[in-house]
Amino acid sequence: MRNQPASVTLPAEPGPFPGGGSRGDVRSEQQYQQQKFSNQSSGPFYRREQCFQKGQNRGERGRGRGGWQGGRQNVSEEMPKYITVSTFAQARAAEISAMLKAVAQKSSNSLVFQTLPRHMRRRAMSHNIKRLPRRLQEMARKEAEKAVHQKKEQSKTKCRKARRRHINLVAEFNRRQRKNIWLETHIWHAKRFHMVKKWGYCLGDSPTEKSYRACYRAMTKHCLLQDLSYYCCLEVTGKENELLKQLARICSNDTGLTFEEASCLSGRFEGSLNLYRADHYPEGMLGPVTFIWKPRDGSENRQLWIWMHPALKQDILRELKAIFQCSEPEEIYMPEPVTTSMQEEEQIDVALSLGKKRKKEDKEGEKAVPVKKIIGDGTRDPFQSYSWISQATGIVISDRTMEILRYRLIGPLSHSVLTETLKAASLQTEMADSETELNNWWVENCKDSEKVSLHQRQTAIFELLEGLSSPSEMPPGTILGLTVGDPRVNLPKKKTKTMPDFEKYQDYDKVRQLYLEGVPVDCAHSFIWDQDICKNVTENKISEQDLNHMRAQLLVPGSHLDLGPCESKIPILLVQQPGKMAGEDRPGWGSGWDIYLPKGWGMAFWIPFIYRGVRVGGLQEALKHSEYQRIPHAPNDFPDCQAGMQFAKELETSLLENFKRRPPAKRANYVKLGTLSPFVCPWEQLTKNWEGRMKASGEFVPPSSPHPEHCAAEGHSLCDPTAEVVKEASSETGEVEETMEITSSEGVLKRGDVTGTQDFGERGETMTRSDFIVLRSEKLRMQLSAWCYPTAGKDRRIRLISRLGQKEMTEDVFLPILMSYPRALVWVNLSLLRKGNPELHAMICIPTEDDLLRLSKDKLFCGPQEPKHRDIFKEKVQKLKEEKKKKKDNMKALESDFPSVPDKETTEKHEDLILGLWSDTLPDVTSHCSRTLLGYVTRGDFSLAVGYGEAQGFVSLTGLVYMLRNQPADKKGLVLLRTPASFQYRFARLNIEV
Amino acid sequence: MVRFKNRYVLCEVVSEDPRCRQCIEDRAVGLAVRDAIGRIHGDYGLACCSISFTVKYLNAYTGTVLLRCRKDSYRLLCSALPFVRQLESRGQRYPCCLRTLHVGGTIRTCQKFLIQYNRRQLLVLLQNCTNEEERQCIQKSLLSCSLTEEQSRSGDEEDDDGTETD
Repeated sequence: MRNQPASVTLPAEPGPFPGGGSRGDVRSEQQYQQQKFSNQSSGPFYRREQCFQKGQNRGERGRGRGGWQGGRQNVSEEMPKYITVSTFAQARAAEISAMLKAVAQKSSNSLVFQTLPRHMRRRAMSHNIKRLPRRLQEMARKEAEKAVHQKKEQSKTKCRKARRRHINLVAEFNRRQRKNIWLETHIWHAKRFHMVKKWGYCLGDSPTEKSYRACYRAMTKHCLLQDLSYYCCLEVTGKENELLKQLARICSNDTGLTFEEASCLSGRFEGSLNLYRADHYPEGMLGPVTFIWKPRDGSENRQLWIWMHPALKQDILRELKAIFQCSEPEEIYMPEPVTTSMQEEEQIDVALSLGKKRKKEDKEGEKAVPVKKIIGDGTRDPFQSYSWISQATGIVISDRTMEILRYRLIGPLSHSVLTETLKAASLQTEMADSETELNNWWVENCKDSEKVSLHQRQTAIFELLEGLSSPSEMPPGTILGLTVGDPRVNLPKKKTKTMPDFEKYQDYDKVRQLYLEGVPVDCAHSFIWDQDICKNVTENKISEQDLNHMRAQLLVPGSHLDLGPCESKIPILLVQQPGKMAGEDRPGWGSGWDIYLPKGWGMAFWIPFIYRGVRVGGLQEALKHSEYQRIPHAPNDFPDCQAGMQFAKELETSLLENFKRRPPAKRANYVKLGTLSPFVCPWEQLTKNWEGRMKASGEFVPPSSPHPEHCAAEGHSLCDPTAEVVKEASSETGEVEETMEITSSEGVLKRGDVTGTQDFGERGETMTRSDFIVLRSEKLRMQLSAWCYPTAGKDRRIRLISRLGQKEMTEDVFLPILMSYPRALVWVNLSLLRKGNPELHAMICIPTEDDLLRLSKDKLFCGPQEPKHRDIFKEKVQKLKEEKKKKKDNMKALESDFPSVPDKETTEKHEDLILGLWSDTLPDVTSHCSRTLLGYVTRGDFSLAVGYGEAQGFVSLTGLVYMLRNQPADKKGLVLLRTPASFQYRFARLNIEV
Repeated sequence: MVRFKNRYVLCEVVSEDPRCRQCIEDRAVGLAVRDAIGRIHGDYGLACCSISFTVKYLNAYTGTVLLRCRKDSYRLLCSALPFVRQLESRGQRYPCCLRTLHVGGTIRTCQKFLIQYNRRQLLVLLQNCTNEEERQCIQKSLLSCSLTEEQSRSGDEEDDDGTETD
């Protein structure tokens, strides 16, 4: 039991007065009093004693002797003959108080009401103190006070009911949207997704429910829906030839399409390409974009939409402004932002007053101004212009981010979802109501017979879509413009899974014609290009509340609601996504449709889609989509553009954070594993080392440029000792052969350099800025792809090469490539041969001859093992730790006067050294391990699409060519993969899909 | 829940010799009681009683002693208590005897009893006062013990705070 009074004994030396006992305060008081007493009165003691005796005798009968003090009969001579009443009384009083204290305290750690016997307990005693017996109420109150401190403090501003009131809720949402842009489906997503704040948006990362496999199935069998409204749209308007002249500077024919592509220029197809800084190709990557031209409509000005990932937007916008010399903010488009600014200001005011006086605000709210929901970009500064004009050419660039919504439907049934959800708008010749502007554009349009016929053709094609078995049957990037009715009207009663009904649609000839010829050019026209119409449509949307009200007033509940002329007409744009085009397996996988909507209509289209049984994916699903398509995903897989670098940096910090959170004994020691950089891919180092390797073996340094010379020297110093170590470590014969190979290729290089020197010298200067490039030239990739094919069984490679019109791999073909791209990376796919699950930042290595030999002999051979490395930093780390500890102890002992200065140094040093990570500058990354490093994996996982591990990554071009040259014909493209936290290498096949 | 049930015996040391107070210590009292049990009930009784036998509390100034033993053998203990004749410590030996005041099941009941008992004694003392000075003195101490209730409560809180920070 706790808090029991301690025993009280006399002090060891018997003194006249008790004192210095264990219980300090009571004792001392007592002592003090006693002293005072004895000093004061020494006279009448005897009488007092007598009195005491009497009392004692009377009080307790049968008690022979008078307490412990008073001896009545035989008192020895040393003893006092009397006792003091005061001491007697005080001793008792002290004991009483001690006991009281003990009794009043509760002894266990249970709460007061828990100590009560069961029959005295009452419901909700902890809530209401007055249900306790009164004697315990005091204690319970004390306990309750303690508990209150631990409870979360409630927000004092408003009660929940007030906070959830619609007007306040909207104001709160608007306030929260000011920092990060919300998509229109934000609330829907926030209830079902893990949200992340990225690129200035709040985006759904992945669903909270378990749906990894379900999302994959939706992509392959049904339909996966994604909200891509966060993608940014830049609109460029101007004369066609002016635009094309400048746009040609920022893209290249080598990488595929350009803006000039005839089919795209007509506005019939959507195109995708990679942008580079003006005249900097192949360096200065800006990022991948898709673009749509508005179909020609007679006027000489053309409109172009460039869609890109938000991480790339700033760079691309800057570049576009630079090439078109659009520096001045444009004034013409101001009315629109001004009106929105008015709204927003009101909102701000309301929000401000909300914080101050609730009641007053409520009254105001009743009067008039309901807070408007923010539609579009809530973070925009209303007074800043978002379009820029060039005085010389009249070209206008405007930022239409969040003005156009974009949903992506992936999967073979996406078109049936579309056809079921959307119904083409009915023709309308007279206005529903002369006062409103609702549909006035559509009425006007319907008066023109030409436009009516266009609309009918569009509708016919849209209905034909139902007959397709997969969106991939359409030509890639097909655009179909359409005007549809309100999709909320024909909402099904229950959520059902859409299935195509082929019996319903029998007109195969027309369908065949559709996918052979594609959608005609004029059908690509849509009113969504017209900003005024978009604005009109956005503003005249019937609110959900009104719609529900109208539904409630239907005569037959649940019957189809016919709005008649009041039904809104929404211009939309449907764009086909081609899915997987490269490679041989699964053609057209992941194809689907993108739907572009005017803003404000997000949820109105979203919910009907959901009701057709689509599954919704987030960012993670988008990543998987591109992974299974084996295409690079922006911005993760663009290490040469600014956004990609930024992404890599963020990834590194987050991974490092995770790593450091573990105790050192439970972490992987990457130094021992031979992994130099587990959290980031050192592309620059990799390309530099490979260049150095080639130079070192070539022993030829072009005198014109100082840069490669330095590089080669570095390569020498780095390569030589490590190469020896490698030789010692692995006593395989393959290693010797490898070095032999290098020497044999020296002569070749010498010859090749004669042609390549000049070119290289030029490049050396520009190279200093961006250290490496990613090879995106279609021609070269096709060449490499052909070289990568093994000649197993039938002579497939030869056939393929002849089909692609490629040359055999000879020195005079690949040497110029190497010379012109000394530091290039190539995007490759890796599929594992046997076991293994590749991970992020796994290393791609070159197998030795011996490995390949064992692979062909042993069926069960999984791959070689990396020998264990020595942790050369461990001692340093430990020493530092000890020093730090010592210093700390010293500090404690001294309680030093100047604490901060030496301490800082140690902490700084310590931060550099983390046990298990390489803390120096990296040595030669290629030859650090027993197998020569070729590149890194940027994305890898078990692929549900193919049923084994797959990875995508970049390898050094130089290294790849070197490897392919030395590999036997039937083993071409075999590489080893090793995950950062493992010694085990696994075999994988490398191929390049074009 | 199964627990060992104990009995707590509250006694008073009665001695004619005031110096006996020095002998009132845990060890001395415990030994004396054991000795008495041993004499009366023999080895078996001693063994029975000495399971969990301790002196839980004593106050040398008032002569209060609180003993604990198992519930099974408290009769043995109680019957042996009157046979305690002396207390011995530090080579000194003083005759005394133990008077049983209360036998309780918990320490708390014994404490409550002790409060009542002491208070009663003080009241009796007050009634039998013959002189004004004494009366005042006793009243003062009476008041102090009732006053200390509140003081002690405030003290409690301080104590509690102290333990919390620990």
